Amino acid sequence: DALLGCHRSYRSRPTHGIGKFKYLLPKELPKKRKEKVQVKEIDAGTEYQYGDVNIQMTSYDLCLVEHFAQYVHRLCNRLSIRVNESYAMPTKTNEVLFMEEKGSKMQLDAVLTTHQRVVQIRGLSSTFAPILLEIIQSSQPEGVHLLVKQHTEADFKSRLKSRPELEELLAEMS
Amino acid sequence: PCRAQPKKKKKVDVKKEQAQKERMKKKLKKLEKAAPELIPIEDFITPLKYSESNRVRSLPPLSPEESERRVLLMKKWCLFKQKQDEAEKKAIKALVESQQEALKELRLESEELYQAAIRRDEGLFPFERDGPSYTPPLPGYDPPEGKCVDITKVYTQ
Repeated sequence: DALLGCHRSYRSRPTHGIGKFKYLLPKELPKKRKEKVQVKEIDAGTEYQYGDVNIQMTSYDLCLVEHFAQYVHRLCNRLSIRVNESYAMPTKTNEVLFMEEKGSKMQLDAVLTTHQRVVQIRGLSSTFAPILLEIIQSSQPEGVHLLVKQHTEADFKSRLKSRPELEELLAEMS
Repeated sequence: PCRAQPKKKKKVDVKKEQAQKERMKKKLKKLEKAAPELIPIEDFITPLKYSESNRVRSLPPLSPEESERRVLLMKKWCLFKQKQDEAEKKAIKALVESQQEALKELRLESEELYQAAIRRDEGLFPFERDGPSYTPPLPGYDPPEGKCVDITKVYTQ
């Protein structure tokens, strides 16, 4: 025990660190644990502060929407408004068919993709909210539809995959 | 005519039902253990056809006048953007200041109104606004008839 407990390393001697080998092995990265998607607590807000607010931007043009979302995020950072999350909602694809006027009832196609980005804010004071809305409105690009609303659990659940088996079982149980 | 057999049927049924219920509960527990997943976003996945092709774009070399022109243009653009950004910051400051002044004056006028003004506005959310359009809507435009079909891919877990 006394032999094992002795860790004198003689740092001045050239034999210092003579047993080490771990620095020669390749570095093992810590095992990535899958971050479980959890329902975060939704802040209701006090009388003088709004709770979790979602700023949702929708458009057919991907670049415009991305850039606008980045602009809003940076604006909030600059105005020291706490941004909880800044995420993208799944894209929706629409096939547009229209009737030809020549009477042969043909339908031509166009495929449109709708993109949506969401910036979630917390702790917006009631006096500053209209100012923020004004600024965002004044720099709103064309074709981008803006929607500002409070965050609800239904909003969060719309991002998750549907589980038909679970729902079927729950329906059968009750 | 009551016999002993129907009693056995009932017992067997009850046992079967209990076994079924337990199986369903076990299935439920297994499914509930798996955490819900987010729907993958197609925007962030580059389609394979853009990564497979080997064609590389070779740009022609720029003449010095052209590069000079571009640098000067970039500088002008930076200046323009800076002016725009400063104007925005100024506007925000002015709005906030005028609002604070108005609230101060209101407080001096009446405390009740001030308290009511500071409260949050429930009618503010939800707020919707369409972006400005490039051209105003044409008067008397008759759009062709048609329909929109939603073909988004549905992901299930």
